[in-house]
Amino acid sequence: MKGVKNIKERTYSRYLQKKGAGKRISEWSQFLTEMTSAEGKPEALENAVVLDLSYANFAGIMAASFLAEAGAEVIKVEPPEGDPSRVMSPFGVNLKGVGIPYLTESRNKRHITLQLNEERDRENLKKMAVKADVLIETFAPGEMDSLGIGYRQLSELNPSLVYVAITPYGHFTSKAKKFSKIPWADLTSQAESGLAALIGDLPDTPEPFNWPTRAGFYAAGYATAVGAAGGALVALFHQRITGEGQMVDIASADAYASCVGFPSTIGYVWKKPRPRYGTLDYGLCPYGFFKCQDGFIAIACFRDQDFRAALKILRLWKLEEDWRSLLDRITDDIDKVKELNRKIEEAVAQYTYKEIFEKFSAYSVKAARSKWRGGGLPVTTKMLTPKEVLESEHWRVRHTFHTINHPTFGIFTVPVTGKMSKTPMRIKWVSANVGEDNEYIFKKYGLKTGA
Amino acid sequence: MPEDYFSFTQRMFDARKAQEKPEALKGIRVLDLSHMIFGPIAAKFLAQFGAEVIKVEVPYQGDHWRGATYWGKYWKHSNPLWNFINHSKYFVAIDVKKPKGKELILKLAEKSDVVIENFTSGTVEAWGIGYTQVRKKNPGVIYAGLSTFGQYGPFRFFPGWDLLAQGASGMLSLTGHPETDRFFKIPDFYGDFLPGFFAGMMIMMALHHRLKTGEGQYLDACQAEILMRGLFHFTYQSVTKDELGRTGNMDPAAAPSGIFKTRDQKFIALAIATDKQFEHLCEAMDRTDLLDDERFKKAFTRLKKENATHLQKIVNVWVRSKDEKELVETAKQYGFPLSPVMDDLQICQDEWRRDRGSVLLHDDEMYKKLALAGPLAMLSKTPARIKWLTRPLGYHNRYIFKKLLKLSEKEIKALEKEGVVGYWDYRVGQRPPVYYDMGKDRIFNYEGSEEH
Repeated sequence: MKGVKNIKERTYSRYLQKKGAGKRISEWSQFLTEMTSAEGKPEALENAVVLDLSYANFAGIMAASFLAEAGAEVIKVEPPEGDPSRVMSPFGVNLKGVGIPYLTESRNKRHITLQLNEERDRENLKKMAVKADVLIETFAPGEMDSLGIGYRQLSELNPSLVYVAITPYGHFTSKAKKFSKIPWADLTSQAESGLAALIGDLPDTPEPFNWPTRAGFYAAGYATAVGAAGGALVALFHQRITGEGQMVDIASADAYASCVGFPSTIGYVWKKPRPRYGTLDYGLCPYGFFKCQDGFIAIACFRDQDFRAALKILRLWKLEEDWRSLLDRITDDIDKVKELNRKIEEAVAQYTYKEIFEKFSAYSVKAARSKWRGGGLPVTTKMLTPKEVLESEHWRVRHTFHTINHPTFGIFTVPVTGKMSKTPMRIKWVSANVGEDNEYIFKKYGLKTGA
Repeated sequence: MPEDYFSFTQRMFDARKAQEKPEALKGIRVLDLSHMIFGPIAAKFLAQFGAEVIKVEVPYQGDHWRGATYWGKYWKHSNPLWNFINHSKYFVAIDVKKPKGKELILKLAEKSDVVIENFTSGTVEAWGIGYTQVRKKNPGVIYAGLSTFGQYGPFRFFPGWDLLAQGASGMLSLTGHPETDRFFKIPDFYGDFLPGFFAGMMIMMALHHRLKTGEGQYLDACQAEILMRGLFHFTYQSVTKDELGRTGNMDPAAAPSGIFKTRDQKFIALAIATDKQFEHLCEAMDRTDLLDDERFKKAFTRLKKENATHLQKIVNVWVRSKDEKELVETAKQYGFPLSPVMDDLQICQDEWRRDRGSVLLHDDEMYKKLALAGPLAMLSKTPARIKWLTRPLGYHNRYIFKKLLKLSEKEIKALEKEGVVGYWDYRVGQRPPVYYDMGKDRIFNYEGSEEH
């Protein structure tokens, strides 16, 4: 097994460099070979049924994906014309009418169509809800309730149901009611939850570079999805023990602030907001990616000894006296931080990625071995683009990417994670034809078709 | 007449009743051997729902994040930001490098349902407290190993931080304006927090499996891989053979979209996903003529770069002619995604967040009042809660060792003398606030019997 080599590999931990360490972790190395495949293993949620009613909302779609990857039977319920999420795709790129994000998330799901504005299909939904453990919906708060299929009605039919709602402002508070018509979007969630205000160049750079800036992926949507799936699993755990279901409410306008937690506490303690800090960091300096001769390289000095090591290697030791301690290097005096950062920038620009990497790496390995623990650990990495990540040997060994060859959608690649020794998260299939599982699911749950 | 939906939900989620409600994870014991953010946040996720989380630190050193600071500022001799990451935990300090310390940790692990660690791959095994050692006495244990590059694969021994994970996953290359050499990272250690919550979710999955079968297992939560899971760029790349790269403030999957400046010099974000939302926007802008234009009628053509850019310019002009308040009011009335850009202070003071419990003003016995962010998910019957903020290093030593391990005062004193267990150094982040009298603290000086 190639990925699980013995201790001869370069190690950065002094405990792994000690004599006999290889022997001490041999059982562990052996065990790791069990981790590399999901083949034939049981699934953590194999007896759970999840109804996914997400509508134009990727937070809901992704939350349902995580449960599907853990083995739940996830039934994606769409109107006959399909969930509008299908058209949300970068520059409109699509495969047979299905956008890239929707296809990526259509893993292990059953796709059925229901017209919830019709009585017959509302009855069908109720029939499924009686047998379901979790229902995820992203309609305007109160909308499902007014159709007679909200938490209030479904929990009467099935007191064990875990009902997950995802909306910008949640299903309670006066604001939730007043703003109920505003739909979900990742970008607005980023902006309202405090992320956009922190990304962007320094105040003295020209417009629009100093404006609040969007994180270039679904940063808020992903946090909302993880929060929703995590909350659903906690509620489901309570249900498995007590038989009692409940409602789980997620507000996407909260996504970033509730994920990292800093904005609320900083606002309270400092009584002022942080300005945008460009490529600098609020807590550490230097802590960022710097331009070298052939790309961008991380210089991340967390502790003083890491900083000293970086200075020695970059031949900047003369700076040590003025910037010695963490408190010398982090300051709200932006000019001071810029000054140190510029000096690091100038030094890094002299080298290629490989030169710095090799020096940092050799230094770290040696410092870990040293009795004098002030050596530091100046670890680094190169900034990779998704294309370069796809080519990396490490992720190939870990089976991080699956390439699907689908009769309708052709060949495409999707990432998967969640490695567990007994019940790993996995991809069983990826498919996204509208209503492709109608027959199977309608029969399984005894649903009615026709008038 | 049925009750108004929002008064029904308000009753269901009443924050004042949260403390009286049951806890979903009561009785689940978690041994938190992790440090910094990635591991501790997974443990905190479980703690807020009622798990008993015992955090183990190195005596007289502690978690490095205790003394971390933003801009060199501290609060009551501590790092206020550390509270969000470690509230409601038990704090013990044990030296794993001493044989008796290792024994003590193994004893705690034996009595735990979940163990969490985030050292580089193999380190806990070399210490003798890894999965293969713990499972011998506790085969039902769920052992979560959290690391930047995962437990196997050629990079597995590489240490990493949030920043490295962002760089290695491809995430870093996506934020900023095209054709500049500025790549912005996601701030506030997002690359630690998000994977931490993801690992918490994985632990919940393992707990479900264990509830059903009694089986424990090992979890390999890989930080960079978890960040990659959230990117659609790999699929885009495989289909188009083209890099999506940075797109500035435009969400390439929503047209029009962007962050715009208002007449009153504020910023708003707007992103139109569906044809319905586009219709609403055009009505609000009084530009229904755009709805008849073949370029903009349907989402897939609207999203083409030239069409999306054209619409972005139209929105830009419209936003410039209105104040922020007006724009938010319009979006609320017509129904399309638009929101103000909010900063730290606005978020902290936001009335909606206070009502909802998204910003909690916690009154702590030791630290008094502090605002913390609430949970990502509100549960109506088993809500998350804050029991206490963080505590000085080794604060719960007596409480845990006496109650759980049945050690006597004499045995604990002997362990203290040998340096196996310990307390704080007189350093910021480790020690109690100056005004607090530790001598009178009944938990710190635990003799037996009091509940915590």
